[in-house]
Amino acid sequence: MNTFVVANPHKCIGCKACEIACAVAHLDNSVATAGALEAPFLPRLNLVRTPMVTMPIQCRQCDDAPCANVCPVNAITHQEDKIIVNTDKCIGCKTCMIACPLGAMDMVPELENCQPVYQEGLQLNIEGQPVKEKIVAHKCDLCVGREGGPACVEVCPASAFVIVKPADMKKAIKNRRAASAAEVACIKKAN
Amino acid sequence: MSATVVGIVQIDKELCTGCRRCAEVCPVDAIKGEKGEPQTIDTEKCCYCGQCVQVCSAYASIFDEEIAPREQKIAERGLLDSVKEPLFAAYNIGHNREVKKGLADASLFKMVQCAPAVRVAIAEEFGLKLGSLTPGKMAAALRRLGFDRVYDTNFTADLTIMEEGSELIERVTQNGTLPMFTSCCPAWVKYVEQEYPELIPHLSSCKSPQQMAGALFKTYGAKIDNVEPAKVFSVSVMPCTCKKFECDRPELTDSGFKDVDYVITTRELAQLIKDAGIDFKNLPEEDFDKPLGTYTGAGTIFGVTGGVMEAALRTGYELITKEAIPDVKLDFVRGGEGVRKATVKVGDLDLRVAVVSGLKNVRPLMEQVKAGTADFHFMEVMTCPVGCVSGGGQPKVLLPKLKETAYKNRACSTYTHDDNLPLRKSHDNPDVQKLYDEFLVKPLGHESHHLLHTTYTPRR
Repeated sequence: MNTFVVANPHKCIGCKACEIACAVAHLDNSVATAGALEAPFLPRLNLVRTPMVTMPIQCRQCDDAPCANVCPVNAITHQEDKIIVNTDKCIGCKTCMIACPLGAMDMVPELENCQPVYQEGLQLNIEGQPVKEKIVAHKCDLCVGREGGPACVEVCPASAFVIVKPADMKKAIKNRRAASAAEVACIKKAN
Repeated sequence: MSATVVGIVQIDKELCTGCRRCAEVCPVDAIKGEKGEPQTIDTEKCCYCGQCVQVCSAYASIFDEEIAPREQKIAERGLLDSVKEPLFAAYNIGHNREVKKGLADASLFKMVQCAPAVRVAIAEEFGLKLGSLTPGKMAAALRRLGFDRVYDTNFTADLTIMEEGSELIERVTQNGTLPMFTSCCPAWVKYVEQEYPELIPHLSSCKSPQQMAGALFKTYGAKIDNVEPAKVFSVSVMPCTCKKFECDRPELTDSGFKDVDYVITTRELAQLIKDAGIDFKNLPEEDFDKPLGTYTGAGTIFGVTGGVMEAALRTGYELITKEAIPDVKLDFVRGGEGVRKATVKVGDLDLRVAVVSGLKNVRPLMEQVKAGTADFHFMEVMTCPVGCVSGGGQPKVLLPKLKETAYKNRACSTYTHDDNLPLRKSHDNPDVQKLYDEFLVKPLGHESHHLLHTTYTPRR
């Protein structure tokens, strides 16, 4: 079973600090201040604000991943306990975006050292200049390889995030089953 | 008050998510609004310290199609079109468009001053380590931008010590109003004017170093270069958003003109340098111009909390005792957010001082002063948590955990700069001495009084 990160909407204050931490954690080079950043933030989770609720939404690392199932070029693979997009393979067809039941997939310009990568082979104008930016699928990778784990969890001032690991889930389910059994037993006794 | 002054710090309604973290850091409860709704700023209360600008993490996402275009926001904020960084909900109005226009005007003689805290932070905007110390590269960059004279606020920080130190001695020896409050931090001054107008007489009558420099640029500075004062274009680079408010105060025109024409922040200077295509990282180290760019270690430590106090004590001690101070390093006034008190033996006098950083911490002391129970002679107040190094106009550190490192490194670089300067006491600054000999005559004298001192405005 895959690990995933989820936020508690009752705790979230909607500050977007998670989005910034996510975007910064995925930069090629370390950027400490806003002014040093030459490109827009490209977070892999997205704060949703409605009159009812505020919470960030990110990939649930589905075990039978719909995005991977529909990818025509096998750019989405299972690695250890997470679902990863291989941007080198991605053709930006957006099928995964449609397939994702959570809306956790985005399409973003591919960047190298804060500079956009241009698409080879596509002529945008008559001079044949390669001016079309390459767009690729973009999703939460649980900050793979980052010391300290997912950056969003670490930065949240409201401690709204939880990392859900298979072991935690199994334990929670076991407890829930025990509670259900106890409840049923109580009902029987009362009758 | 001009229209630009009223809204120097603003919150973009389209971007604000209503997390209210800005309200938490606001020292004067000027930020109003419901949780989850866009906030507004009460400009009567706002001290323009810009701590909300530093804390805000709600930004304009490229995925958000329902907001005004980036170009429009850039124009509304007074930013240069070339600015690439993300736009946040809380921001300050920029003045680079006006500065760029002035720099391109061949009929103007351009003079610039830089506050002490700018040189320990500007390099961060070019990817250098947090708190890198780069006074020489900054001077070189300003020269390449087209300034005719690259002067320094540190010079007038030294001058402030001469005036403020003399004022303190006069107040202590002649039963003047005590405790005396420092007047360098414009957000603190506005706070006194609106929250404790009855305590205005406690404020030192000294202008801030920025405004002293402004007044000198269009008088003494113009004379040195034999230029018309009306042709002097006076720009200052500050770590502070409230300095923009200060420079627009109608009373600060003692040179006969607006003493400081425009203030840009550390972040704005970085944007201006990038806009001009200057390779900051590889610039050579250059000196500031003389005489209004000569400074001592005492001038540079104005950038950290306790710095004004330490600089004043270094000079005050020697003026009173006529002896050299045993050690220029006065650790007891150094530190971070909070209140520190100390007693300093100055000859026969036990001088009691208080240092406050973080405007939130000042109220209990103000109540004591009001009640007449304050047991100290001199109080330094800095609005921002670690003094100017953590000012609202400083580079915005993206991750909260790096903020502490940034502030620590910036403060550390400030003290290193002081340690390594040949002169460490304001009264040893040869160009300050020369200024008195040639122009001002003496501290608290007629000309000093006219150019370097001011009055305040009760706002209640």
